[in-house]
Amino acid sequence: MKKQFAALTILMLFVFSIPVYAGVPMTTVEATVNRVLNVLRDPKLKSPAAKEIKKEKLRVIYKDMFDEIEFSKRTLTRNWNKFSPAQRVEFVNLFEQVLEKSYMDKILDYSNEKIDFYKETMIPEGKAEIESKIITSSKEIPIFYRMILKNGKWKVYDVVVENVSLVQNYRTQFNDILANKTPEQLLEILRKKVKEH
Amino acid sequence: MKSYLSVALLCAFLAVGCAHSQRSSSAVATQADISPKTVLLAADSGQQATDAQVKPKTQSVNDDENLDYAEDTFKEERVEIADPIEPFNRAMYHFNDKLYFWALKPVAQGYKVVVPEPARISVKNFFFNLGFPVRFLSCLLQADFSGAANEFGRFGINTIWGVGGLLDPSSNKELDLQKQETDLGQTLGVYGVGHGFYIVWPILGPSSPRDTVDIAGDYFLYPVSYVYPWYAGIGVRAYEIVNSTSLRIGDYESLKEAAIDPYIAMRDAYIQYRLKKVKARKARSLIFKAEETSAPAADTALPNK
Repeated sequence: MKKQFAALTILMLFVFSIPVYAGVPMTTVEATVNRVLNVLRDPKLKSPAAKEIKKEKLRVIYKDMFDEIEFSKRTLTRNWNKFSPAQRVEFVNLFEQVLEKSYMDKILDYSNEKIDFYKETMIPEGKAEIESKIITSSKEIPIFYRMILKNGKWKVYDVVVENVSLVQNYRTQFNDILANKTPEQLLEILRKKVKEH
Repeated sequence: MKSYLSVALLCAFLAVGCAHSQRSSSAVATQADISPKTVLLAADSGQQATDAQVKPKTQSVNDDENLDYAEDTFKEERVEIADPIEPFNRAMYHFNDKLYFWALKPVAQGYKVVVPEPARISVKNFFFNLGFPVRFLSCLLQADFSGAANEFGRFGINTIWGVGGLLDPSSNKELDLQKQETDLGQTLGVYGVGHGFYIVWPILGPSSPRDTVDIAGDYFLYPVSYVYPWYAGIGVRAYEIVNSTSLRIGDYESLKEAAIDPYIAMRDAYIQYRLKKVKARKARSLIFKAEETSAPAADTALPNK
C-alpha cells in the first residue's frame, strides 16, 4: 500500500508540475501588486502606529515577488565571483535593506493612483516582461517588470521605471566602485548606507 | 502492485528522459544532491534548455558562475558612456545638487503650497504647448509624419479649444492625439549620431555633445527665448522650471536616496533614458525603422542605390 501511495505521489508530481508551468507572468505580478494595494488600502492599518505592521506585511510580499539572489547577481555580474559565500549572503541582505529604505516610504505614500497592466511579452528561455503604468493626476509613470521562471514560479528580477532599469543602474555603480575597491570595501559602503538616518 | 509501480517508474523515466538534452543533464550532474525533486526540476528546466545551463542553481550563493550576461535578452541596454571630464562633471553635479536643495526646492515647495495642483498642471500644459515648434520639426526630421501630424493637430486644438494651451483636450479619449515628447538630440540619435561623452551642464544638468545641440536648437525654436527684454525671458524660464519642479518634488530625492553613488546613478539613468527614447523614435520613423531591423544588410545595400 505504501508503495502504491509513493507511486501515486510521483505520478501526481508529474501531472501537477505542468500546469504550474503555464502560470501566466502577468497574472502573477498583477496579483502581487494587488496584494500590496490591499495592505496599503486596509482601513485597519490606516493609523500611523500600524506603519510597522504594514512594512512587515509588505516585506513578506516582496520576498515572494522578487528573486533577490538573481537580482544581486545581475547587478554584480562577474564581480559576484570575487565575493566569498559569506560576503555574498551579506551583500544580498544589505542590498535588500538599501532598496527597502529607499522605496518603502514611496510605496507607503501611495494614494489610490490607478495602476494599469497592459502588456506581456514572453521571451524564450523562461523570461517575460510585463508593462504597467501608474497613472497620477499630472503624469503617467511606466513601470516594467522583468520576470524569470524558476522552479515553476515567476519571480521579478528587474524593474524598469521610466525606461531606467534598476539592475543596469546598480550594475554601473557597482562596477565603478569595484573597479578600484575590494568587495569588503563595497560592503562597508553599503553598511554605512543602511545605518544612515 | 508491482506492475503499478513499474508503470509509474516508466512514466517517471520517460518524463525525465524526454527533457534530457545534453545541457540539462550537465546541470543535473552539478547539483549536489539528486533527490527526486531536483531531478524533476531539472526535467522542467530542460524544457527551456538554453537557460538550464546558465542558471541551474541560482538559489545558491556558494558557487562561482559565468555571470557575463552578455547573451542576455536585454543586453542591448548595456550602455556606457565615456566620461573623460569626470572631475568637472562631478563638480557640476554637486553644484546642481546644491542649487536644487538650497534654491529650487524651497521655492517650488512654497509655490506648491500657494498654487493648487490643477493650476500647476495647466501651466505645465501651457509651456508644453509652446514647445510645439521643436517637436514638430523633430518629428519631420525623423521622418515620423504621423507624429508630426499629431503634434500639429495637438497644437491647433489645444491652442484654440484648450484656452491657449492651458488645457489638453487633445489627450482625451475621443481625440487621443499622443504627445510626441521628442527633441533635436533624439533626432540626431535617430540618424545614428552617438552621444560622444558625458557632460553635466550647470543648471541644465546631464547632457552630451549630441544633446547639447538640442539645447541650442531649443533656444532658437522655443518662443520664450524671444521674450523681450532678455531678463523677462529668463524670468519666464525660471517660472517654468519652478512650476514643473513643483509637480515632481521627491523624484530626484528618491533617486539620490536609492543610489550608492548618486553621480554614477544619474549618469546611467540619463543614458538609459535617452537610449530608450531614441529607440522608440526610430521605431516610429518611416525611413530609419527599416534600417534598424536589417542593420547589417543596409550597409552593403546602400551603395547600389
